Amino acid sequence: MFTSFKAGEKGKIVDLSHVNHLVQRRLLDLGITEGTEVCVKCVMPFGGPIMIESCGQCIGIRRKEAVQMEVVKV
Amino acid sequence: MEIALIGNPNTGKTSLFNNLTGSYEYVGNWSGVTVEKKVGVFKNNIGHLIDLPGVYTLNPLSRDEGVVTSFFLNESVDRLLNILDASQLERNLNLTLQLLEYERPVLIGLNMIDVANKRGIQIDVSKFSSLLGVPVVPVVARSGKGCDKLVDVISTKSVEPAKKNLVYYGKEVEAAIISLSKEIEGKTEQSLRFLAIQYFEGNEQVKNYLHTITDSVTLSKIHSALEAELQNRYNSKSLSNFIYLKRKETIDKIVAEAAVKKSTVVPLSEKIDMIVTNKFLGIPIFLMFMYLLFMLTFDWVGTPLSDALDALLTGPVTGFFESALTTIHASAFIHALIIEGLVAGVGGVLVFVPQIFILFFFISLLEDSGYMARVALVMDRIMESVGLNGKAFIPMIIGFGCNVPGIMAARTIETPKERLLTILLTPLMSCSARLPVYALFVGAFFAGHRALIVLSLYVLGIVVALILAKIFSSTILKSETSLFVIELPPYRMPQFQSLWRSTWDKAKGFIRKAGTFIFAGSVFIWLLSYAGPGGLDVDMDHSFLAMIGGVIAPLLAPIGFGTWQAAASLITGFLAKESIIATMNIIYFVPNDSSLQGLLANYYTPLAAYSFMVFILLYIPCLATTATIYKETGSKKWTVFSVVYALFIAYVLSLIIYQGGKLFGLV
Amino acid sequence: MIASIILGAAIFGYAAWAFVRFINKSKKGKCAACELKNSCKSDCGLPPKIS
Repeated sequence: MFTSFKAGEKGKIVDLSHVNHLVQRRLLDLGITEGTEVCVKCVMPFGGPIMIESCGQCIGIRRKEAVQMEVVKV
Repeated sequence: MEIALIGNPNTGKTSLFNNLTGSYEYVGNWSGVTVEKKVGVFKNNIGHLIDLPGVYTLNPLSRDEGVVTSFFLNESVDRLLNILDASQLERNLNLTLQLLEYERPVLIGLNMIDVANKRGIQIDVSKFSSLLGVPVVPVVARSGKGCDKLVDVISTKSVEPAKKNLVYYGKEVEAAIISLSKEIEGKTEQSLRFLAIQYFEGNEQVKNYLHTITDSVTLSKIHSALEAELQNRYNSKSLSNFIYLKRKETIDKIVAEAAVKKSTVVPLSEKIDMIVTNKFLGIPIFLMFMYLLFMLTFDWVGTPLSDALDALLTGPVTGFFESALTTIHASAFIHALIIEGLVAGVGGVLVFVPQIFILFFFISLLEDSGYMARVALVMDRIMESVGLNGKAFIPMIIGFGCNVPGIMAARTIETPKERLLTILLTPLMSCSARLPVYALFVGAFFAGHRALIVLSLYVLGIVVALILAKIFSSTILKSETSLFVIELPPYRMPQFQSLWRSTWDKAKGFIRKAGTFIFAGSVFIWLLSYAGPGGLDVDMDHSFLAMIGGVIAPLLAPIGFGTWQAAASLITGFLAKESIIATMNIIYFVPNDSSLQGLLANYYTPLAAYSFMVFILLYIPCLATTATIYKETGSKKWTVFSVVYALFIAYVLSLIIYQGGKLFGLV
Repeated sequence: MIASIILGAAIFGYAAWAFVRFINKSKKGKCAACELKNSCKSDCGLPPKIS
């Protein structure tokens, strides 16, 4: 689970199929798909978005979408 | 020759466009600066260059991306100039492969090599070029390095794609491509392979296009048969995913051969991010930035400069005109027209140029540094709670400069309801044209707390927008889906020259308007104030202008400024908000040195002045903004709505402030 | 006197021209800073539709 990650921790995306399909498309556009390694950069307070990094590219996504991503720590 | 510039968002297409055409288009460091198609002429006249919004793929999700796809389907273009961000090759190549399928000559401009090098990525350009089979020219779009070479290659070399079908999609897909191609052969000028692949990927615009030229049932049969076959044989999730993976294989192969990656140091960007998008400091830092902006504009730098300019204008400049008019023995009418009309009206607006410049300088800084997307991220939580998303904050910030580009910037918002909501609310952002009104009134009534009072107005605009967003999104504009995925570009040290360039570019609109519309407006307002039913040179209280203003004035009495003067300036404000100040300068014309600020104290109480500023902040979108709302929504209903609700909210709020203030004993 | 008439005519003439031009430009939804002027042939995007 992404939300259990602390800032600075890395993980690998295992399953994206539960995420809203529009969000999936956008993530795919940005090169993030199953198998991509991501690093949580920062978590906004009060259930705000989180900032993740992959291949030197930073992306902001909402917490509720992040919850639906299945990620394992590496 | 028509050449289209295309590439991922924020890869420097517009910077390059400016360099190649010698024009100056709006650039910035976030995704979605360009939201429309722009055409320019090459410096050496070899043809037209078309700047398109940035896209990740030709399969559109948002309105600005749709502009690109429809361009590809409906217009013919001779060459494509594809700009790649060298530090993000994999992602950028996804689009490049689709462009190559389009089967038009493609030329690649490899931008941001310096950024890539810093990340430890080295690219073998000639290898890269031979793998793709198209010419690749390294460029630095910001400085213009490599542009000459690019123009050379565009105008001389034949850039016919050497390798056809760079991606092999597997025999099932290839077979389906052929059978679909047969269906549409001869019915379109576009590449059949391109159309077929886009159709299989689920591109709605291509689907609609194909349905206009051929039978939709046959097509969907081919599509579903292929999808089922792939699922049986490879257990693939979906056809579009299958295509994506095939492309990715090719990309990985190309990148592995042409680029070398080394491990690197932590970029400065991430260190800055730890502070500005910090858990608790994010929003306070943004407010601090805004406060600093207003202190500079209204206290430290802007106001002293404006005052100096004002002194120059009322002293030497007026004196010069006086003596010139005496020399040519001008009639009393012309004398009054120039001194009381033009110098007062146009000059009264021009004195605020220093403040406008500072405001635009800060907006440019925000755009150029990469902070803009971070603000969207920081604000998302608040925006989500009112039914918008963080991206909607970007149009609002741009709206602080001018509402028109702000409303256009809403095109990057993917969901139609959220986009419409953003369009409707952006006019509540206090644009630069409203700034002179504040500057004048805070100077006259709140000299001790200038920055704070103005900040309160800007914040009020945002707060009202958020409250209305909540109301609209839970009543007339309900939407279930909300999407927020935002790319955060690396920070860039803004170059002074480019900052100055974009500041000047925005601010010159203000100066130009003073010379054209404000000039014209001043002449007519002056004429209306000079003439009356009793003839020319009447007492101003009996002029036509007083009669017109007098009709509306009683309505404004409950909110604290029921004078014909206030009413008349509000009417002209619909055409352009700057003209409010020009009108006031003409109406309250004082022949001697005593200033307008001093005179205003006779007509307004501080409470009425605040109520007036709030009313100006909210009351109506200007003509250009109204037209843009109509253009962007395509709906008369929403356009009228945007005007009516703004008037209503402005009146109600001013009423609450004025009457409430009176109850609490404020005057 | 002649100078006054010429000056007056010039000012009113220019004002009328600038006014008409500005209103036309505004009606197209262009803000004052728009640089495109003659070089832009586009109608700036799609006919957008929002329900």
